[in-house]
Amino acid sequence: MSPALPFSSPDSEARVTLRASAGDTIAALATPVGRSALAVLRISGPDSRRLAAEVFRRPADQIPERRPVYAAYHDLAGNSLDQLVWTYLPGPGSATGEDTLELSCHGNPLIAQLILADLFSRGCRPAEPGEFTRRAFLAGRLDLTQAEAVMDLIHARSERALAVAQRQLRGGLGQRVENLVARLLLALARIEVYVDFPEEDLPPEDRDLVRAALQEVLRGTNRLRATERSGGFLRDGVKTVLLGSPNAGKSSLLNALVGRSRALVGPEPGTTRDYLEELVRIGPHLVRLFDTAGVNPAPGEVERLGMAKTLECLTEADLVLWVVDASRPSLELDPVYADQLRPGKVLVVFNKGDLAAGFIAPPDLPHPTLVVSALTGLGLGELGERMEQAIERLAPTEEGDEEMAVNARQADALRRAGACLGLVLDGLAAMPPAPIELVSSDLRGAVDALGEITGRVDQERMLDALFANFCIGK
Amino acid sequence: MSDSLSTVYEVIVCGAGHAGCEAALAAARTGARTLLLTGNLDTVAQMSCNPAIGGQAKGQIVREIDALGGEMAINTDLTAIQFRLLNESKGPAVQSPRAQCDKKAYQFRMKHTLELQPSLRLFQATVTGLLFESDGAGGRRVVGVRTNLDLDFRARTVVVTTGTFLRGLMHIGQNKNEGGRLGDFSAKTLSASFLEAGIELQRLKTGTPPRLAGRSIDFSRMEPQRGDANPTLFAFHDTRDAGALFHVEHGSPAGEPLREARLGWEPGRDQVPCWMTYTTERTARLVRENLHLSAMYSGEIEGVGPRYCPSIEDKFVRFADKPRHLLFLEPEGRSTNEFYINGLSTSLPFSVQVEMVRSIPGLEKAELLRPAYAVEYDFAPPTQLYPSLESKKVENLFFAGQINGTSGYEEAAGQGLMAGINAARKTRGEAPLILGRHEAYIGVLIDDLVTKGTREPYRMFTSRAEHRLLFNHGSAELRLRGHAREGCLVSASRLARIEAKADRIEHWTSQLERLRPAAGETGVGEGTWADLLRRRASKGEAQGSGATEIGPHGFLELPEVDRAEVRYRIVYAGYLAREQRQVAKLLEVERVNIPLDFDFAAVRGLRAESRTKLMETRPVSVGQAGRISGVSPADLSVLLVALEARRRGRIEDQTDR
Repeated sequence: MSPALPFSSPDSEARVTLRASAGDTIAALATPVGRSALAVLRISGPDSRRLAAEVFRRPADQIPERRPVYAAYHDLAGNSLDQLVWTYLPGPGSATGEDTLELSCHGNPLIAQLILADLFSRGCRPAEPGEFTRRAFLAGRLDLTQAEAVMDLIHARSERALAVAQRQLRGGLGQRVENLVARLLLALARIEVYVDFPEEDLPPEDRDLVRAALQEVLRGTNRLRATERSGGFLRDGVKTVLLGSPNAGKSSLLNALVGRSRALVGPEPGTTRDYLEELVRIGPHLVRLFDTAGVNPAPGEVERLGMAKTLECLTEADLVLWVVDASRPSLELDPVYADQLRPGKVLVVFNKGDLAAGFIAPPDLPHPTLVVSALTGLGLGELGERMEQAIERLAPTEEGDEEMAVNARQADALRRAGACLGLVLDGLAAMPPAPIELVSSDLRGAVDALGEITGRVDQERMLDALFANFCIGK
Repeated sequence: MSDSLSTVYEVIVCGAGHAGCEAALAAARTGARTLLLTGNLDTVAQMSCNPAIGGQAKGQIVREIDALGGEMAINTDLTAIQFRLLNESKGPAVQSPRAQCDKKAYQFRMKHTLELQPSLRLFQATVTGLLFESDGAGGRRVVGVRTNLDLDFRARTVVVTTGTFLRGLMHIGQNKNEGGRLGDFSAKTLSASFLEAGIELQRLKTGTPPRLAGRSIDFSRMEPQRGDANPTLFAFHDTRDAGALFHVEHGSPAGEPLREARLGWEPGRDQVPCWMTYTTERTARLVRENLHLSAMYSGEIEGVGPRYCPSIEDKFVRFADKPRHLLFLEPEGRSTNEFYINGLSTSLPFSVQVEMVRSIPGLEKAELLRPAYAVEYDFAPPTQLYPSLESKKVENLFFAGQINGTSGYEEAAGQGLMAGINAARKTRGEAPLILGRHEAYIGVLIDDLVTKGTREPYRMFTSRAEHRLLFNHGSAELRLRGHAREGCLVSASRLARIEAKADRIEHWTSQLERLRPAAGETGVGEGTWADLLRRRASKGEAQGSGATEIGPHGFLELPEVDRAEVRYRIVYAGYLAREQRQVAKLLEVERVNIPLDFDFAAVRGLRAESRTKLMETRPVSVGQAGRISGVSPADLSVLLVALEARRRGRIEDQTDR
């Protein structure tokens, strides 16, 4: 906020009204979350060109049209989030009839979410279920006979979204947001009562009380929003890749971690030809284990296929368990793989510790190490703990947050609510005091934003809070 | 006008309260042949509760009524005995004019206005039933009314404004009397007509405090509250036609100005104070000890009362820790010594009322002229109406005022005006005039009523309007001028003055953003005049009082009302622009109309819950549909696609032919 002009230029466009209109720019993931190697993000609306120019750092008049481009995506902070392929399609010759931008990024759900969150920060809004198709229909890109199919699709998508949202809201998130909303409404009532009932015998206006309450709400909002990253982990699992030479015992280790026989395990090296994935729970975290084909210096034809997949897995991994046979310890690794092993995301696991009594891991490795035996269960408990610690470092969780898992849309709503609350707090602290109806306007913005998570908040509820707390009426 | 009973009126208005008067005048002023029926011509435009007009949000409504050619504003200005601008220390958007009125003068002037209004006929008779005919498609339409005199009147449209009279039942302790107001009757048979037509009715409750004899009040023990030296008026006197204050006089049959004969005073002259006092511990004890005798607390009353206007019983029960409650004594007029005691509404027995009143400082010897009482009445839940205020069940039947579940003279008058305008438009085959939520409090009021309904008597608050920053009271006629023009609601000469005012304001708003103070003027080198104004505002410096006004020469020459609007637009520019952007976005769906014959049942992909609600409410636009609770954005998406499919289907049909 500019202190000189406390109420002349709000920059937050946080009060979002009805979500059915065209004219704004929408963004959403077009591929299912956490399933594929590639994730496709779609953006549609008049801001598409501006966004392409911003994130790919090109002049707006030099955006190639209808041609895929390979480039780094830069977020608002200037970080490169991913190397990806993007295509800009100007309207009306696009699927929705509007300017559109398609991004194919790596399938790591975290990357896709970071990109989405960044797009929202830049003024996009999350698309409603089926909104791309609706826009296509309203723009005349689909013919009349497809109308019913469009309606069915919107219906199906919204039912699914509703089911997901309800599951999440039951899991404590709804209660947390509802609690924030209730406190916002009480603060709003404490402000509005002086606007709408100037003739009443009211206690003196206490802006500090309202400020203290709202600071608390802002903290709650920010805490919830911070669960987005770990939220991604919670929903999709921490992508953990088992890497190692053939027959190092990766599959046995996976089976030991899963607690049941899942992967095809054989005595011959190279049995695991493609990667297998398995969900396990490590402490409070959901972990998606990827068992890869062995890393062989002289691969056969079929094996070569598996290795490409291994590399792909490795690039997207949140965590790597580098499995080494303790009975035949070799730390040689093709540089193609070794380059992916950034410190902090690698744990060197010496397996078959039962066959190598007295084995001591070399002390000069840049990664933490430990000795286990998938066969006897030796060291598996410690492995779990070490993985948990590593995940905590990747995505710190707070006490009580285990149940929270805000998605990109919810995080966007929380971000806008937070921005509004920032304006409100500045306004309440301003000297001379900012006009109360403007403070109220921003506060309503915060209520509306949170209402996008739990369902629209009826103005009547503020009046309920007002009449419950103040004796009004002449 | 023929006196024959065979006359078919274009509009019949039943009831001459605040809604009925505006409805009748609005219809007649657009040239519709109009009949106003009232049970008692001596109680036209009566203020059944406190003798005041305006206040928060209500004051803005009254100014909107003036902008749309209604009467309440000018009638208040000319019969008020005290004017105050509420929230003067806050921003213009939430400032509201309020006035104490001379209750009888207000009524006399309104009655006289009705009497002199061309194409309007007044008649005293109580409406006892409605006359229907089949519309040939399974529904019915109204074709007239039946009265207690066994006279029937026929009309193309009927506006019902029954206030609290529909099966009105008054309570004073255990005492019960039928009637809509003390001393008045109850409309007992009309409810049957509504039920016959399938219109659902429910009960509401409201109450009013005792009236006191002024000579028995010791004002020396109370604090006066005086009017503003510089009164803020309700009507837009700067654009009114010259002599329009008394324009009805010129329309008198004799052609003689009737100024001398008319009631009405120079606004703001000889203002009269109100008086403030408080309840005491004794008052609280009396209420608590006798709670079981209160009609409200002994279960005598089934209707729901308003939370913002609680009885004194409610105040002491619900806020037991609040030691005392503020009371205002409001004079009822210049020619009476009667006082209204604001804040002491109750349904306790009369004997307790007397003791209670006498427990209050200054009222130790007070004589009660009229008891306090609660009144229960029928209302028709307003979700049964289209936004035009026409019934969905009976064609050509319009509802306005308390029958729609509202409270307040201003809310009633606003609805009456719109119902009158729309009934007349219907007879001419014109589309109804519907004000948007972004345009006026009246728009918010009617949209809330027809979309959400109400559980308690509905009162307007500024906080009900999402875009109240756009609703500063001074901008009412600028905001609504498009509707005034399109509906011919104000005279061509007034409209021209409004347009000229709008041009001046827009011109100077942009000039001040461009121009900088010239050498020698205050604030040289500190940016544009607009920057200077904003900086001063953010420092909390007073604006607009002659000495401190800044700006270029031409700007300072403007009338103060113009300058005030320019200053508002400049100082609040950022927020106003944000509101405008939100409105623009909203309008995209608001403008997508849903045809009246649209079949929600046939739309694929709507959730069952939404389908039911949409079929019940029958929204007329996608915007309205979105405000129905439980209707999700995805449902709106489905609706948009279905509407587009229907539209294209129609076009294909036409091309086929």
